[in-house]
Amino acid sequence: MTVIDVTGLTKRYRDTLALDRVDLTFAENTIYGLLGRNGAGKTTLMSIITGQNLATSGDVRVYGQDPYENPAVLRRMCFVRESQKYPDDATPRHALRMARLFFPRWDQDLADDLVAQFRLPMTKTIKKLSRGQLSMVGVIIGLASRAELTFFDEPYLGLDATARQIFYDRLLEDYAEHPRTVVLSSHLIDEVANLIERVVLLDRGSVLLDEETDAVRDRATTVVGEAAAVDAFVAGREVLHREGLGRVASVTVFGALTAADRSTLRTAGLETSPVSLQQLVVRLTQQSADAPASSEGVPR
Amino acid sequence: MNRTLNVARMQLVNKQTFVWVPALVLVGALAVTLAVYAILRSSGITGDTPFYGGGAQAPLWYFAVVGAQALTLTFPFSQAMSVSRREFFAGTLLIALATSAALALAFVAGGLVEEATGGWGMNGYFFKLDWLWTAGPVVAGLFYLALAMLFFIVGFAGATVYKRFGPVALTAVILGVLVILVAALWLVGALDAWQTVFGTIADAGPIGLTLAIAALVVVLAGVSFPVLRRATP
Repeated sequence: MTVIDVTGLTKRYRDTLALDRVDLTFAENTIYGLLGRNGAGKTTLMSIITGQNLATSGDVRVYGQDPYENPAVLRRMCFVRESQKYPDDATPRHALRMARLFFPRWDQDLADDLVAQFRLPMTKTIKKLSRGQLSMVGVIIGLASRAELTFFDEPYLGLDATARQIFYDRLLEDYAEHPRTVVLSSHLIDEVANLIERVVLLDRGSVLLDEETDAVRDRATTVVGEAAAVDAFVAGREVLHREGLGRVASVTVFGALTAADRSTLRTAGLETSPVSLQQLVVRLTQQSADAPASSEGVPR
Repeated sequence: MNRTLNVARMQLVNKQTFVWVPALVLVGALAVTLAVYAILRSSGITGDTPFYGGGAQAPLWYFAVVGAQALTLTFPFSQAMSVSRREFFAGTLLIALATSAALALAFVAGGLVEEATGGWGMNGYFFKLDWLWTAGPVVAGLFYLALAMLFFIVGFAGATVYKRFGPVALTAVILGVLVILVAALWLVGALDAWQTVFGTIADAGPIGLTLAIAALVVVLAGVSFPVLRRATP
């Protein structure tokens, strides 16, 4: 079931086009990865869907209704932004108490548990927290809200590797018990690759890609084996990435494999391994930069 | 409605802003004022001339700051709590009204104490301004209530303009208001109408003045809402 329906959404700030006629739908009970470079329009898109910002033109429907100033729809969503502001002199304890007032499905035990796991200091004022601790407050609100539509805006900023792992684990764990729609904007693509079921890639305000993560992965292949055999196979193909260790090479090539390709691989004694989603996304974004850039010069 | 009340409760989760700091400012200003009165009396100034101080203004000025902060910091947070702008506006004004009422009660209680003790036994007044109390403690209380709301809404409205249109627009609005005030002063002077103006204010008395302030509060609140309605966090 579609829960968010975006049609022709355009957002123009004074001289920049943040979103350019975006059409997207988000389905119920799915984890989305909202990917794209800085300034691609990820935060703007999430802000407009959650009624925090206004569209220049176009239409957003959440559960069939316009979310702007619509409490019936708003209460089913949670979006703590990356640069979230908090009331003056508020502590994490205050912030969580306030959040509890507004999210009907709030789980206090989950919140307490996360506080302990993250070792978040509860009585320090928020403006004195480190960047990582600030992110923790947002992550805890997002997870414990159990909102039917939860948006995470680069939630890992400043978090150490352990804390990030806690976030990913707890998100999956809680999602399994309480399915909901999660939209996760991220730059650490490979870290979230195993988490996200669907990839939405934005570039300069437009949707570049909107596909199942597995389908995206099938767009490229990593071939592993003896270096000479690998080179022979990849000759004439578009190479995304190459790694070598002694006589063994691992090369990622663009394009799906045909049945003929697979039998060639078998006879050559080569193996395939999963592709890094990050390398693919980087490649796709660069391709799109190259496409209209013929007149202004190719960036790289 | 429930969520509007929750906005009011949210503002009270951290009691510092709406309870402890205004209380501290009030008690502090009162203590300093009484200490000064005591020093003056002990230094030989006789009790025939009553003392009046302006220290009671202090919590009112703090209210303007609270009004501004409610918007600049609490509004963006309320957006993350999926609170609509309308709910935020109504809930915030509700808590401002409650706090103003508490402050007004404190002022009236203080005024009654001053009346009973003859100005703390030293003919010195902090709360009880004679002209204001001519219509009785109830009207005085309503006056304090309206005045506290006015300070709050001025801070709130200013911050709303700032949030929506930026610092240049806010400066322009402030300058515009100042220009209008100066022009009004000049006009009154040019028409040689100062006596009429003061006469009208005196005639209006505490009741008229309270009504005028309340009307101003309603106008400012009415202007703030449409501006806030399209503001982004």
